[in-house]
Order: sequence, then C-alpha cells, then structure tokens
Amino acid sequence: MLFRPAISVLLLLSGGVPAEDTFEPAARVLITRCLECHKGDDPSGGLSFESAATLHAESDSGSVIDRDQPANSLLLQRVHDHEMPPPVKGRPQPLPQAEVKQLKQWIAAGAPWPQKRELDLYEFTTDVRGGRDWWAFQPVRRPTVPVVDNVNHPVDAFIFRSLLKANLTPAPPADDHSLIRRLYYDVIGLPPSFAAVNRWKKQLTQDRDKSTATLIDELLNRPQFGERWARYWLDLVRYADTSGYERDQPKTHSWKYRDWVVQSINDDLPYDDFVRQQLAGDELDDRSTESLIATGFLRLGTWNDEPNDPADYVYERLEDMVHVTSSAFLGLTAKCARCHDHKFDPIPQHDYYRLASVFWAGPVQSRDRKYLGGPSPEELGAGDILGWTDLSADPEPLHVLKNGERHHPLHPAVPGPLSLVPDLFAEFSAAPVDASTSHRRRQLAEWIVNRNNPLAARVCVNRIWQHHFGEGLVRTPNNFGFKGERPTHPELLDWLAAELIDHNWSQRHIHRLILTSQTWQQSSVHPAAAQYSVQDSQNRRWWRANQRRLDAEALRDSLLAVSGELKLTIGGEGFVPDISREALEGLSRKGTDRTPSSADQQKRRSLYLFASRSLAMPLMTTFDQCDSTLPCGRRDSTTAPTQALAMLNNDFVHARSNALAASILATGKGNEVTKAWTRILGRQPTDAERLLSQQHLSEQQQRFKPPPGTSEDGANPTAQFQALASLCHVLLNSNEFLYVD
Amino acid sequence: MSINLYPCRYSRRESLVELGAGFGGTALTGLLSMHGDTARGDVVNPLAARPSHAKVKAKSCIFLMMNGAPSQVDTFDFKPELIRHAGQQLPPDRKYINSGGRRVGYLTPNWRRFRPGGESGLLISDYFPRVREHADKLAVINSCHTDSHAHGSALVAMNTGKTFIGRPSLGSWCAYGLGSENQNLPGYVVILDKRGGPISGQPNWSSGFMPSTFSGTLFRPGGNPILDLQGPDHITPDVQRSQLDLLGKLNRQHLSSRPGSTDLAARINAFELAWRMQSQAPEAVDLSQESQATLDMYGIGRTPTDEYGRNCLIGRRLVERGVRFIQLYSGGGHLEETWDAHESVEKNHGRHGAEVDQPIAALLTDLEQRGLLDETLVVWGGEFGRMPFSEGRNAPGRNHNPYGFSMWMAGGGVKGGMTWGETDEFGFEAVTDKVHLHSIHATILHLMGLDHELLTWFHQGRQESLTDVGGHVVQGILA
Repeated sequence: MLFRPAISVLLLLSGGVPAEDTFEPAARVLITRCLECHKGDDPSGGLSFESAATLHAESDSGSVIDRDQPANSLLLQRVHDHEMPPPVKGRPQPLPQAEVKQLKQWIAAGAPWPQKRELDLYEFTTDVRGGRDWWAFQPVRRPTVPVVDNVNHPVDAFIFRSLLKANLTPAPPADDHSLIRRLYYDVIGLPPSFAAVNRWKKQLTQDRDKSTATLIDELLNRPQFGERWARYWLDLVRYADTSGYERDQPKTHSWKYRDWVVQSINDDLPYDDFVRQQLAGDELDDRSTESLIATGFLRLGTWNDEPNDPADYVYERLEDMVHVTSSAFLGLTAKCARCHDHKFDPIPQHDYYRLASVFWAGPVQSRDRKYLGGPSPEELGAGDILGWTDLSADPEPLHVLKNGERHHPLHPAVPGPLSLVPDLFAEFSAAPVDASTSHRRRQLAEWIVNRNNPLAARVCVNRIWQHHFGEGLVRTPNNFGFKGERPTHPELLDWLAAELIDHNWSQRHIHRLILTSQTWQQSSVHPAAAQYSVQDSQNRRWWRANQRRLDAEALRDSLLAVSGELKLTIGGEGFVPDISREALEGLSRKGTDRTPSSADQQKRRSLYLFASRSLAMPLMTTFDQCDSTLPCGRRDSTTAPTQALAMLNNDFVHARSNALAASILATGKGNEVTKAWTRILGRQPTDAERLLSQQHLSEQQQRFKPPPGTSEDGANPTAQFQALASLCHVLLNSNEFLYVD
Repeated sequence: MSINLYPCRYSRRESLVELGAGFGGTALTGLLSMHGDTARGDVVNPLAARPSHAKVKAKSCIFLMMNGAPSQVDTFDFKPELIRHAGQQLPPDRKYINSGGRRVGYLTPNWRRFRPGGESGLLISDYFPRVREHADKLAVINSCHTDSHAHGSALVAMNTGKTFIGRPSLGSWCAYGLGSENQNLPGYVVILDKRGGPISGQPNWSSGFMPSTFSGTLFRPGGNPILDLQGPDHITPDVQRSQLDLLGKLNRQHLSSRPGSTDLAARINAFELAWRMQSQAPEAVDLSQESQATLDMYGIGRTPTDEYGRNCLIGRRLVERGVRFIQLYSGGGHLEETWDAHESVEKNHGRHGAEVDQPIAALLTDLEQRGLLDETLVVWGGEFGRMPFSEGRNAPGRNHNPYGFSMWMAGGGVKGGMTWGETDEFGFEAVTDKVHLHSIHATILHLMGLDHELLTWFHQGRQESLTDVGGHVVQGILA
C-alpha cells in the first residue's frame, strides 16, 4: 500500500518541491545506481527497486524507508556510509551530492511512487549504461541530403557540411597515380601494373570523373573484387580451415564457404539474403546447395573434441554462435549477457538465452568426433558440405542459467530475438507442423534483416565505409553499443543505411557511392595538415584520405603480383604454404604430417592460404593477420622490427626479389633500373632515384663478384643478377611499396 | 629521437579505450603520458618500459614449464598415507573425471624417496635431488588446481587463464603491462623443447586479441634465435647495410613529401632496430662467452642435461638483458616425450627429471650468485598434476589430475623454504588453502608489480583480464 501523507506536509518536507515531482529524479538515481543489483527474482539483499510493492517489502535488513523518521531511512544511511553503491575493488563509490539530494527529497516526501510505475534498468541511457533510447537502436530514418554549394554528391554533402562547420577544407583530389593505385588496392587488393597506370592516367586527363567511374566499375566487375572483400567478412566470422586444440582437425569443405562468400560478393547477392542464407540456408524455401554451404557460418568456430566437461562445453559452443551472430550482423556484444544482464547495453540475460535457444536445436551436444561438432550428411541432407541444421523441430527448452552456471538452471528461455527494439519484438513461433527444423534461425534472420531493424544496415554500411577509409563512421565496427564509439556522421550513416535497404540491399551500390565521392578521392596529403592535425588529429571529419599500410594479404599478393608470379586461379581448396623448419618447431607434431602444396599452388592469392589454427603463416601474423578464434571487425596495424626482419630476410620475400631480377633480365639487357621501378612501384624513377639505384647496382655487383681468378669472362651474370635482386629487394621493402596514399 | 622505436598507430588519447589499454587507477596517468601529446601526433612505443602498479619485486620471470604434467605425489607433495593404503582403491567419495577413459588402478606410493632439503627441511623427492639443495629458496604450492584434465586445454589454461584458445598469454600480459627494458630483444621469449611444441601450439604464447607485438617470440637456443634473423648466405652484413642505406634514403625522401606521417617514420626506425637485433639476438644465445665452470654447472655438453641446461643458461642471459618473460619448456610433442607419465612414472620422471634437475638448480645458483635472484621470479610447474593411483595392476603410470597438483616459485618477492596449501591425505585434490590457476596468475603478476584486477584490455565490449573475475594473490608466499 502506498503511503500518502497530506500534500502540504510533503511540500514542507521535500524542500518546496511538490511530493510527486520528487519521484522521477529519484527514480533516475535508482535506475542508474541501484537497480542493476536490486531487481529481479533474487535481488541483492532481498531488496528490489522495481516497483512500489518491492520497495516496501521487507528486505533482508528490514524496511529501507523509514516513514516516521525519513532522514533515518536505511537507504539513506547506506548511501551516506558509502556502503551503497558498493565499493569497487576496495574503492568507495560515493554518489554525487546532487543525486543524494534527490534521494533525500524523495524520501522526505514519503517516497511517493506513481501507481503502476515500474522501473526498468534499460528504460533510458544513463552515464553508466545505454538504454533502449540509445542512438543505435532507433529506427533508421533517411535524412535529407544537405545542400552545400558546388557539391552534388550526397556523401560529399554530408562530409563537406561538417568540414565547413569546423572551418576546414577538404584535401585536394589525389593525384592520378595515387588515385589509380588506391582504387586498385581498395577494390581488388592488388597493385596496378605500370601499363595500367599509364593507360588510366591518359584517360583521367581526358575526363577525370567519367574515367574514374569507368575504372571503378571495371574493378568492381573483376572476380578479384570478391576475393578482396571476402577476406574482411572471413575475419568477422572467425574463418579457419581447422578446428584448433590438440588434433586441430581440418574442417573438410570449409573452403566452399569461403568461395560462397567470394561468389556472393561478386554476384552482389542482396545483403538480406546474404544474412538469411548464412543463418538459415537449410530452412529457406529456396534451399539450395549454395545456401547449405552458407550455413557453414555456424561451423567455423574452434571446436574442441576433448572438452574438460562436455556438458559445459555445449554452452561454450552456444556462446560462440551467439557471439558471431550478434557481432557480425548486429555490431553488438550479446555474449556479455550470458551470466548476467548486460552491463552496458539493454540486453537482459534472458535475451542471451533467447538467442542461444536459436542454436540449441542443432548438434551442439557432444557426439561422435567424426562429425566435428556438426550434423551428419544424412541430417544435413547433403554430403561434402560443412553445414548446419537442427536435429529437432521442437527441442527441450534451454534454461536461463543463474550466473551462467549449468548447475543453476532458472526458468526456460523462450526463443526469440533481442528485446531492445520493443516494436520489433515478438517471441518466435513454433516450427510449422511438418518441419524437421525449429525455424528459429530463419525467424532470427528475418528479424535481423527486417527493414525496421535499426542495426543490420547501419552495421553493414559502416563496415564498407571502414574498409574504404581505414576507419568506420563508427570506429568500433563490432560494438554499436554504449561502450562503442558514436558515429562521426550519424546522418550520413543513416543515409547510407537507407540507400542500402532501398537499393535492394545492394552492397555494390554503397561501394559505388563511396568510391565516386570526392571525400574518398581526396589526397592523403593536406597542405594544412600541421594545423588540422591539432584540430582533428584522428581525421574524424575526413579532411584527407588516411594513408594505409598494406594488410598481410595485400602485401603477400603484391609481392607475387609485381614479380609476375601471381596465379589468379579462383576458388577451390586452400593451399598449404611452405613454412620454415624453425617455425614448425612450435607444433607438437613438428608438422611431420604436413605436406606443403606445389610451388604453383603457393603462388595463389593469400585468401586461399589453408588457415590452420595451430600454425598460422609467420609472415602473415607478423603483419597483423588476425587471430581466427573470435570475430575480428578491425585488424591492428602495427609497425614492429619483426616486420622489418621478415621483409629483409624471409625466404619468401627473397624468392620474389630473385624472380623479379630474373624476369627483368629475361626481357633483355639495359634499363634494369627503370624496369625494376616500373614493375615494383608502377612509376619511372626520378633522376636522383635512378642515380642512387645505379650506384647500388654497381656497389653490390662489386660485393657479389667472385674472388679474382675464379671467373674468366669478366661479365659475371651471377653478380649482375644478385645486384639487381638486391635493388628489387630494397624497392619491395620501401614505404612507397607498402603504403597506399 | 624519443621513444618511438616500436611505434604503432595507437597514439591517440581519445581512443585509448578503443585500443583496449586499461591499466586502471593511477597507472593510467603514466600510460597517458607515455602515449604522448596526441595533438603533436607523437608515436607510441607499445614495448617501452612502463611503470608498474606497485613496487616491483621481480623485473623478469622465468617460467619452467613442465609440459605433460609431473606427478605431485612423486615430486613435491609427500603422502605417507599412500604407503599405508597402497594397493587399495581411491575412496569412492572422491569424484573425478577419468581423463581419456583410462584404466583405474590402485593407490600407489611415491616412486622415489622424499628427503628433507635445506634448513627448512622441505620434503622433495629424489627426482629433484639438486633442486632440493635450494629448498630454502622455494615456496612450494601444493594446493594448485585447474579447469581441465586434457593437455590441450589445460596447457592453454596455464598459459592464458582459460581452457579455450584465443586469449592473451601470461607473458603477453606482462609485456603489455610492463613493456621491455631492452628494445633490441623481444620482451617475451619462449624456448620449446626440441622434441616439439606443446599441444595446441601457437595459442599457448599468443597475444590473443591484443596486437601481435605482445605475443611470445619463439627463440632457438643457438645460432639465429629468432625467425628471419638472417637472410640467404650471400646477403652478408655489408650487402645488407648497403641495402638499408639505400632504403633509408628512399624512405626519407618518400616521407619528406608526406610530412607528419608517424607510421612512415616508425617504419624507418624499425629497420634500424631490426639491424641491431640481428647482432644482439645471436649474442644473447652465444654461450661461448660463458666460462667452462658455468657451462659445467648447467650440465651443458653432457647428456641428458645439455638441452635444458642451455635453455636455462640462455634464460639467465635474457634476464640480464632485460627480457621480461621467458618460458622454457621441458617436454615436447606427445606422451612420454613430455612429463605425461601414463606408462611409468619411474621411467618417465626418471628421464625428464634427470634432464632438468641440474639445469634448474644451476639456474637458481647462478641467478643468486649474480645478484639477480631477488629481481627474477622463477616459476616451476606443469599444466596439471597426476592421480595418486596407477593405471591398473602392474601398470606403473598415473593418469591426469586437475584437482590437485604442485608448483613452486622462487626468487623475487617469494618467501623460501615453505609450502602453501594441502591436498587430501592421498594427494588427490587440493583441500586446504586452495590455489586456482587464476590465483597462480594473480600471484605471478603481483610479484611482477602488476595488479591482476587493474591490468585490463578492452575487447568487444568488456574489460578483459588474465584472471577474469577470479583469482587472489597468494599472500602467504610473499616475502
């Protein structure tokens, strides 16, 4: 029963504030500071602040509100003594004075509580956590494109408006050479040949915009586009070709999933179908071999055939699937809610188990090793595919676990999506009558790609932006929640998201929009960089292009490309690279059962490297190829001396220098310096560079010369070859080769 | 030039959280200043030496990893009850997972005799007679327990805190928390047993979700210890110097038209650093600089101590050179090639004990004689322990046991000549003052001057730490 003293008395007690007005400020304090522990079926200290009824129920320490002597209320005492909120790691967490005052006024006013009002941890964003009103959970609304003088590209309109506001001007357009090279790397991950640079330069001089658009389309239409962009997706979905752990079994047929991603990108498979097939390719009406392969998405994680406790391991597997799904498609860290309500985002613990229930119907339990944690071919209804399907249409319910502990099951979880968008929330329906699968994954996929889902499109376009610019509009691509970064340009993000949805989820449309913008085509050098770097050191307003180092794959591919050795065979099983004996010592079996692929195979693009979880190729990890255990939305880009050692000394790099030298010499005598420069850097050397290179050649030739008397004919091909290889080696190590302007 | 030897692009104050840096509390101030004035775009050296959270006891750690799991009741945890109950079965109230579904035999006493060592009279078995001479330096923890009975996941747990792969290893946390005192050598070095790597491989020394800069560097005990330290034979130092000179000129020219690019400048420096590493890393493993007496003390040049002797001596040399974390594996590959004594404890531990006993004892002597033991933490242990019972009648091996096992620590900040915690009367499971592997990690970090609750890395929405939400410093063994 609510205690309702006369209003006049209350006005007096609450310092002139009408009693009923003391509630909401106090509620805000309770939600922000107290509710996280004091709520639910088993609240801390037996006290819950969720409703008037629970507030006035007897807690473990009796009633926390003293109606006769409000100032002596236990609640206030605990706050004054700094016992509440509880100390963190031994440090007291006193409430700000203003908040103490709000609590005092409310209690002094008799702790009024509006009827039916219930407090919810996530009803609004506070300074400690995001609520359902968090920006990322609001519907995508197509903003009006701003009108900016002399700007007719929508992307530029958004960006330039904000630059203008900050009194910044964009960098001038990139020079032709830089633009061509950047386009090649961005779209296909390979360098342009010298001939291609020249050809496009000529065209750009005639009509820059038109030729740029033609080049963009030409590159987007190459199969190498899908190869380049598939790699980003594979990082996100923790792709590898083995299981990890002691036996590190190959995931036979995993490569088909990789090829499916490449093909989907090249075919511009609408993003909504891209999502549907990966989550529920086995449940779709138009189920096909391809859509079954796509469900490999759920099979790519590590898999331990000898877990300590198989019953516990089931929950690890569920977490892996919840995590990859929520990271890749939603940019959320739902897995944090496995043991408790999410600390920072409106994801109650029940939501985690709703999602986990989606995968619960599949073969997550321990069974015969030979299935590698997946369905049998019979269950999947197809052989030679690393796919996923449910084993039952209506499995026993999965229980929410207290503190995530298996031995403390709470209530059964109801399969469903996240609840953070109430308008979009509905528990999942039971499977159709004659269905063999639960249809939960299909319903989840439909919820994700529902055009009213605020996250899917935003997360998708942000990733595209990120890989074109080096940083996303949201710089934490896998975390759109409270702990992530806010978008630098929220309206542009929404506009792009709306474009994606309205263009039938065509990612290629977004690529084109971005690449044709002046924003993207800016130079990485700005005349006012020194000043602008003070004002906006992180280039959050995009006042120039970010200079970027080649990532591990682009680096290895480029080495092969400029040496003329790259094999552009598309798809198929991965190749096993040569790895030095020294590096193999890290394996418990020392790689004795490892057979490298043929030399020819090893000249394929890095995308096709067989990705073993117990042994990554050292050259690749040195250059920040990410670990394949967890989804990775953004690789590190470090600079370390071990990279210099690898580039200077690694056999693979030397082999490329030698191949280059040999192929240059094979084109006939003369112009070696020019040939080396044009092959490796796609441009002629300047006079000074030519001179330095020439000097290097003759110095090194002297050093490589065999001792006098061992060679008769004066001209020593070996010394000449080695000197040229040495020059090539230097150029392959140059910053100009490794960085894209 | 200031500290931009290993610069990376993490120079931005605003994105500290994004990149994950989390030292917490007061140390954050130090980190921020280390990260420099962002407005000037200073570059950051992630491996620069950093102030620790607390007064440093140990500057370096040598982790003697007994891969395969030694038997506690045969080495450091004497259980006379096993003699009395020999031939009986473990009482049925002791529950356990029978790893690998092996045969369950009978309680079996220690295979070699225990004797008191030092003034403390610590009981240590005859598998470690030389280490026993150092009993007064050891804090033996007899109540260790861990989370997995399988080598693959237990090794990963001992190294990273969790039974699943993908997290940063203990050495990575140290390298991240403390940086390195020698920029010409890696901050975290792992030397494997020549017989092979540990099960699960690379994830055991991985930096997980942290940048690869913090991952362990595999070191080979001789010649060129680091991968790619030397090119083909015809690339002599002269030849390479000439390459680097030309490269430097081209790169500086390139930089001059791109002023202010810290990444480009960083990479120019990285080549000079690499050049220095090429000479310093081989020097660190060049044992010809050591006296014959030292070599003899470690048992170098003699079987079976040569290999581990070299590794331990290199460990000392790396400590002298400021390397933060060194892990030396004893045992590699599978089964009897490691301490995995399924077939016969006596045969297996006899063999591996003989390989490591003298080298470990020599390491302790050597560190002490050079005044380094006070600032070097030495940790000994495997990924779990072994069962007090055999694998059947006339089957003198023991199966895996994660419920109770022994580790010891010595050196910087550790009280010597003591034991901590107890297993039950059979040495089956830890019962008194239990020390979970998180607590082992918390204690190691503490001794290195790091607070396991403050040393965090923000990753995918969560402040991650080595010990997660568990683990306590074992106060009882602190000096």
